[in-house]
Amino acid sequence: MATQNRRDFLKTVSSIGIVTAGVAATPTKLKADPENILSNERNGVLVDTTVCIGCRRCEWACKKSHDMQPGSIDDYDDKSIFDIKRRPDHTTHTVINAYKGNSISKPIMLKAQCMHCDKPACVSACIVGAFSKKENGSVVWDESKCIGCRYCMVACPFQIPAFDYHKAIEPDIHKCDFCAERKGNGKLPACVEICPVEALTFGNRADLVTLAKDRIKKNPKRYVDHIYGETEVGGTSWMYLSSVDFATLDFPVLSADTAPGVSESIQHGIFAYFIPPIALYALLGGIMYISKQKSNKEEE
Amino acid sequence: MKFFSMLILLIIPVLCIAQPTQHSELKFNCSLCHSCESPTKTNPCLKACPRAEIITVHHSAEEAPGYIILDKFKNVEDNYAPVNFSHKAHAEMSVMAGGCEMCHHYNPPGRVVACSECHSQSRIRDDLRTPDLKGALHRQCIDCHRLWSSDVACADCHHENITNINKADPVDRYHPQIEEPERLVYDTDEMEGYVTFYHSDHTNIFGQECNDCHKQESCVSCHIEEQMLGNINLSQEEKHDACSGCHDTDGDCESCHKEQITPGFYHAVSTGFNLSKYHSKVECGGCHTTPKVFKGLSGSCAACHKNWSLENFEHSITGLSLDENHSENDCEDCHVENDYKNPTCDNCHDEEIFYPDFLPGIMK
Repeated sequence: MATQNRRDFLKTVSSIGIVTAGVAATPTKLKADPENILSNERNGVLVDTTVCIGCRRCEWACKKSHDMQPGSIDDYDDKSIFDIKRRPDHTTHTVINAYKGNSISKPIMLKAQCMHCDKPACVSACIVGAFSKKENGSVVWDESKCIGCRYCMVACPFQIPAFDYHKAIEPDIHKCDFCAERKGNGKLPACVEICPVEALTFGNRADLVTLAKDRIKKNPKRYVDHIYGETEVGGTSWMYLSSVDFATLDFPVLSADTAPGVSESIQHGIFAYFIPPIALYALLGGIMYISKQKSNKEEE
Repeated sequence: MKFFSMLILLIIPVLCIAQPTQHSELKFNCSLCHSCESPTKTNPCLKACPRAEIITVHHSAEEAPGYIILDKFKNVEDNYAPVNFSHKAHAEMSVMAGGCEMCHHYNPPGRVVACSECHSQSRIRDDLRTPDLKGALHRQCIDCHRLWSSDVACADCHHENITNINKADPVDRYHPQIEEPERLVYDTDEMEGYVTFYHSDHTNIFGQECNDCHKQESCVSCHIEEQMLGNINLSQEEKHDACSGCHDTDGDCESCHKEQITPGFYHAVSTGFNLSKYHSKVECGGCHTTPKVFKGLSGSCAACHKNWSLENFEHSITGLSLDENHSENDCEDCHVENDYKNPTCDNCHDEEIFYPDFLPGIMK
């Protein structure tokens, strides 16, 4: 066995440490990176909150197309529901909330549903791969893979995935699937199709960004100069235009850093090419070796 | 090949739509649309469309269709039946607001452009900048209607869709007759007093049309929820807008702002000049020629009728045709010192002949 003094050992350990740090810091390909999953043709929806009238037909159409007991369409005219803020849950994948606007007669109506992030935190957090980002932009959940750990609910920056807390057996995760099935059949998402005022514009995401910029440029008084979702958490498929600051509409203030960016780069760094584990074992082995040498000497 | 046939199919309707019916009769300068001096069919050298300057709807409200059934994008699976849109009622009311252009916001010279010519009937389309027809129509209606009523439920305009669509008898609907107020009293805080406005006098006596004053009204001006009434903060200029077309609202405050509520304006009582005899059909501006100035006009005929002389004055327009004996008289013979109200016969006749028992001609 080659003899190694204390100085040599420290050199080895520190060089391994530098390599490990280097690997961790290098931008590695994320699971949800646009290059490997997203297509340039991916869809999106532009929600123009200055156009939405809060008729809640999208809620009805969404439930109907997902077999979620929509009830009578006329029940959705009930405006008292706006008294409290609602979230998408296991009974509905989308909700409209009302916010105080500049004019009494025109409250700001805000549709909430999954934003279908370009780099989704749920996809990254799911330990069994039950979530996936499709080429057409949808983030979908696979019932057959889910183990019900609910990491997706913790990871989502918009708190969208909902859980069947009332079901003891085979509870599901619920969230908007961007009508993946309807889109496959050449149809529009149910909410987009039914919207009477076309507050929801469906199209190629890149086209929608251009469209949104065009609207802001033409109507600078109508809109704040911000497309929510263009860059937030690395971009989302659903984007919003508003007449007021998005923070006042309970939109989380998020940077352009992807939600899973930091965690994935650390994790992927740690396990990249299996170097850090080897380094760790080498370190532990080294310590063991040295301490054994020491005890041998003491015995002598 | 397929591409070319598609291209031709696309171009033909565009050409048909773009061709104005009376291109040569347009009252616009050619340079409004064309950048070169002599545009040709092959090189029309068109500028960016100056939409705002060429919106023209030549219909009057009476000529416009009474109702339009909005069923262009009808689908049997729809939840609601098509709307029977009371076009004429809206057209008539629009005179007091932005006019036809409020809805017909793009209409180059020529015929009226149908909504569906620009707004796609399909929501799946290439050009997303223009809302589709369903969105455009709903926005057009709801944008105004929701201003005064938060109840913009589907059923307010639509009937439920029934599989066997039997178009319920569409009938022309009109805006209910607007009840005109006789008098409005404005309690003006700044001036410590009142402005008494006799509304019906302005329309009946002074011949004002609704849209002479009500130019850019919003439907909300009348259809307003009580809760919104307190939120109207108009500037001084805006408050005077309706009056300042005829009255001097900058300097002459006292004419309208009085300490007390004032009686209505009767020309004979207030000015001493009775209009009812010969001037009842004359517009205010016919005599009060200086804009916004109504005072200081003399009551004598010659003040306005400056060209009247012995030679060209026909006495019959006063209602009295002079007979042969009197037609050659001087005015002064009967109307001493320009007193046309009390003619005298004394200059020629003795006391037995007097006006008005004895007339110098025939009354019509």
